[in-house]
Amino acid sequence: MLKMANSFPEEVLEHVFSFIQSDSDRNSISMVCKSWYEIERWCRRRIFIGNCYAVSPRMMIRRFPDIRSIELKGKPHFADFNLVPEGWGGYVHPWIAAMADAYPWLEEIKLKRMVVTDETLELIAKSFKNFKLLVLSSCEGFSTEGLAAIAANCRNLRELDLHESDVEDLSGHWLSHFPDTYTSLVSLNIACLGSEFSFSSLERLVGRCPNLKSLRLNRAVPLDRLANLLHRAPQLVELGTGAYSAELRPDLFSNLAGSLSGCKELESLSGFWDVVPAYLPAIYSICPGLTSLNLSYATIPSPDLIKLVSQCPNLQRLWVLDYIEDVGLDALAVSCKDLRELRVFPSDPFVVEPNVSLTEQGLISVSEGCPKLQSVLYFCRQMSNDALITIARNQPNFTCFRLCIIEPRTPDYLTLEPLDVGFGAIVEHCKDLRRLSVSGLLTDRAFEYIGTHGKKLEMLSLAFAGDSDLGLHHVLSGCENLRKLEIRDCPFGDKALLANAAKLETMRSLWMSSCSVSYGACKLLGQKLPRLNVEVIDERGHPESRPESCPVEKLYIYRSVAGPRFDMPGFVWTMDEDSAVRVT
Amino acid sequence: MSEGDMAVIKPEMMKSYIWLQTADGSIQQVEQEVAMFCPMICQENIQKGMGSSKNHAISLPERVNTAMLSLIIDYCRFHQVPGRSNKECKAFDEKYIRMDTKKLCELTSAADSLQLKPLVDLTSRALARIIEGKTPEEIREIFHLPDDLTEEEKLEPLKNSTDDPRIRLLNRLYARKRRELQEREKLKNAELEEERSDDRSVDDLLSFINGEIGDSKGIKTSKNKKKNRRRKDQQKNTCLYEANEIHEESSNLKFACPSDEVNKFRASPSLTLKLQDLNDDSLEDMVEFDDGDIDDEIDPALKEKIDREVEDFARRLNSDWPQRIQEILALDMLEDIQGGNGSYKQNIPTSANGWNNFDQMLTGF
Repeated sequence: MLKMANSFPEEVLEHVFSFIQSDSDRNSISMVCKSWYEIERWCRRRIFIGNCYAVSPRMMIRRFPDIRSIELKGKPHFADFNLVPEGWGGYVHPWIAAMADAYPWLEEIKLKRMVVTDETLELIAKSFKNFKLLVLSSCEGFSTEGLAAIAANCRNLRELDLHESDVEDLSGHWLSHFPDTYTSLVSLNIACLGSEFSFSSLERLVGRCPNLKSLRLNRAVPLDRLANLLHRAPQLVELGTGAYSAELRPDLFSNLAGSLSGCKELESLSGFWDVVPAYLPAIYSICPGLTSLNLSYATIPSPDLIKLVSQCPNLQRLWVLDYIEDVGLDALAVSCKDLRELRVFPSDPFVVEPNVSLTEQGLISVSEGCPKLQSVLYFCRQMSNDALITIARNQPNFTCFRLCIIEPRTPDYLTLEPLDVGFGAIVEHCKDLRRLSVSGLLTDRAFEYIGTHGKKLEMLSLAFAGDSDLGLHHVLSGCENLRKLEIRDCPFGDKALLANAAKLETMRSLWMSSCSVSYGACKLLGQKLPRLNVEVIDERGHPESRPESCPVEKLYIYRSVAGPRFDMPGFVWTMDEDSAVRVT
Repeated sequence: MSEGDMAVIKPEMMKSYIWLQTADGSIQQVEQEVAMFCPMICQENIQKGMGSSKNHAISLPERVNTAMLSLIIDYCRFHQVPGRSNKECKAFDEKYIRMDTKKLCELTSAADSLQLKPLVDLTSRALARIIEGKTPEEIREIFHLPDDLTEEEKLEPLKNSTDDPRIRLLNRLYARKRRELQEREKLKNAELEEERSDDRSVDDLLSFINGEIGDSKGIKTSKNKKKNRRRKDQQKNTCLYEANEIHEESSNLKFACPSDEVNKFRASPSLTLKLQDLNDDSLEDMVEFDDGDIDDEIDPALKEKIDREVEDFARRLNSDWPQRIQEILALDMLEDIQGGNGSYKQNIPTSANGWNNFDQMLTGF
């Protein structure tokens, strides 16, 4: 029998591995045998860590000596909705400090929902000589001072993306820290920043970077400066405008339209704060080439939106406010046959009565008219089981379906029944569904459907749903591929959790807030399942001061080989073997 | 080249050949332009003057036998012709590369020893495509590789700094459950195998107290900053997700969980197994099973009581299970660890494949 291992030199095997980049395939390779494990760990260059507390920096470094690109995620997803109290954690500094020594050739750092300080940014700036890419997505804790350090020191920087981060914006001056000799910028996303930049600085930067492909400006960049910028960067593929408003001036309009039409490669547009609809026709010339349009900040009335989308036959992704209304979505369904992803955000979620005419009908139209639609995030105020069934039948290709009926526990508006059957149809027909968010009035039956059919489901978000532990039990016991489960305000207690405790070890994380899980159950889980970190988050003071049967405020359970963390604030406790266990 | 050799060569310069000798002894001649496409052959010929005659045939590296040489020559013969279009080359390559995996491996190896990079790339990519999407077991099968990873290598070594009897009990329970399920699987395969005794030591994997206390200390907390109401709150979040929504429900939601009942919970250790992985040695390796180590301090009678209570608990909870779960129970896949009669009504999460693999921590599985 030919032993491949004998005749196959390591370098050749390494070369084969270089064509295999997906994380799961690299995992598989490393588990094949000793020699492959060794070869693989030395040549792994890219790593994704979905939960920064699941492993420690030291463990990662020990195993992988030469990483060039790292992606880390910190806080749980519900942090986006202010459900994770400030100070919970997600500090990236220990990682950077460890990597500064171990990975001098690190090129890329991508962080999501982590706390990044100016010190961290300064450390990055001076530690990695070949640093190329920094993505800070929904991060916080740093100021424009830290950005200045990056700009000043990272000679090879290609990409700086501050996607929706919370930055202490001291001034726009940091941009001027890019030296005049710096020309390698490819992508810049500063849309989340508030302050003004020196426009001449910005223009010079844009002008001297011939490879600039993606530029997302912030609101402070006025429309009349946009044309100048575009003249210097006609090679742009992605553009995020600043404020899209100005007084109506024909010269301004023609300048803008001219500069935009000069950008023959443009595929993606975003920005559009404070839109003055009269200026929208300036982008018509590039609409046929657009594949992605993000209008989630744009208050554009429906007729203008219709005119716009009707000119974008190649649109694949649309993010828009509910101003588009059902009529707009009808038009979308007619014009944009290549649509893959739709997100409709609420313009005024705090008003109970609808302020726009957007109903379930819009989603039905799109599901009918757009055969490639795979991903939906839809905020609306009414839904019916029939509508959901229709949508499910129209579009069995959904991989991501997130429906947010604004008022919690809203029933089927036609029959006043729960929406169990509707969501049941979604999970039943959409066999490849990986991500699901449910809303409206739902009983345990809905979860029975989800558990029965949601076999490929990886992420599930629940709020104000279900009747009892049976609901949670259906999900935990049925959804085999579940990785992330986040729950708020559902009547789930100890039973389902304890009965399915081992399931938790197969998932990345579980978040439960405002549910009925008792402190005692948390302690038990922490004790009995040493590979889980069971974090109790409770701002009412130490749970020991209350009876064990008292439910905890918030619970975050995640698996980890790094053990309990030590950077927790005073309102977070990790349940472990040392938790006192009272035996009656 | 010596002058004598030159005299022999000249008349035959109409068509030049290079003489090559493969590892298995056979000597053959190949058109010069074809053979010179291989950098190694080229080097031997130009720098060392080899290959000009049968007596001075270039000795090819060991990994190049007659069959491999033939394949390589085919490749070179096509590609050395100048002016081939990309489309032509691609078509040839796609057809050329179709061969069984064993041959593909040999060819990759052979091409590498001749430093023929384009062919190495072609074959390497083909091998990569074979590997992609497969499980470790499948890969092992295809390439006839040994399953020799120890638990230390699959999971970062963790020191068990305490001799906690509960942890040892848990270890033992895990081991026994895995063994049982493995046995059942083997029985299903209609082969009765002897139970393997696991005398390999384990590095206390189920503890994660690895002594790395100092990692996260001294972290500066984030600066105070004004809390802006972020626009994204309004967009992705609605009343649905507002933190101050109070959830009020009737009291039947409050599950009385007296502390003693809660304390008696015992985790079922079987549940991280995928049934297909029952023959996976790696899982078996991960747990210590040492019959001599019975000095746990938990009263067996209490254990029995605990198990029964938990089963009761689960039974009450599961009174209206879907059909599928009933079927699983009917197959009697799960037996109580203490050898009791009832089935521990748990579902085996089938997606886990040794979840405690470090890699799965990384991908945030």
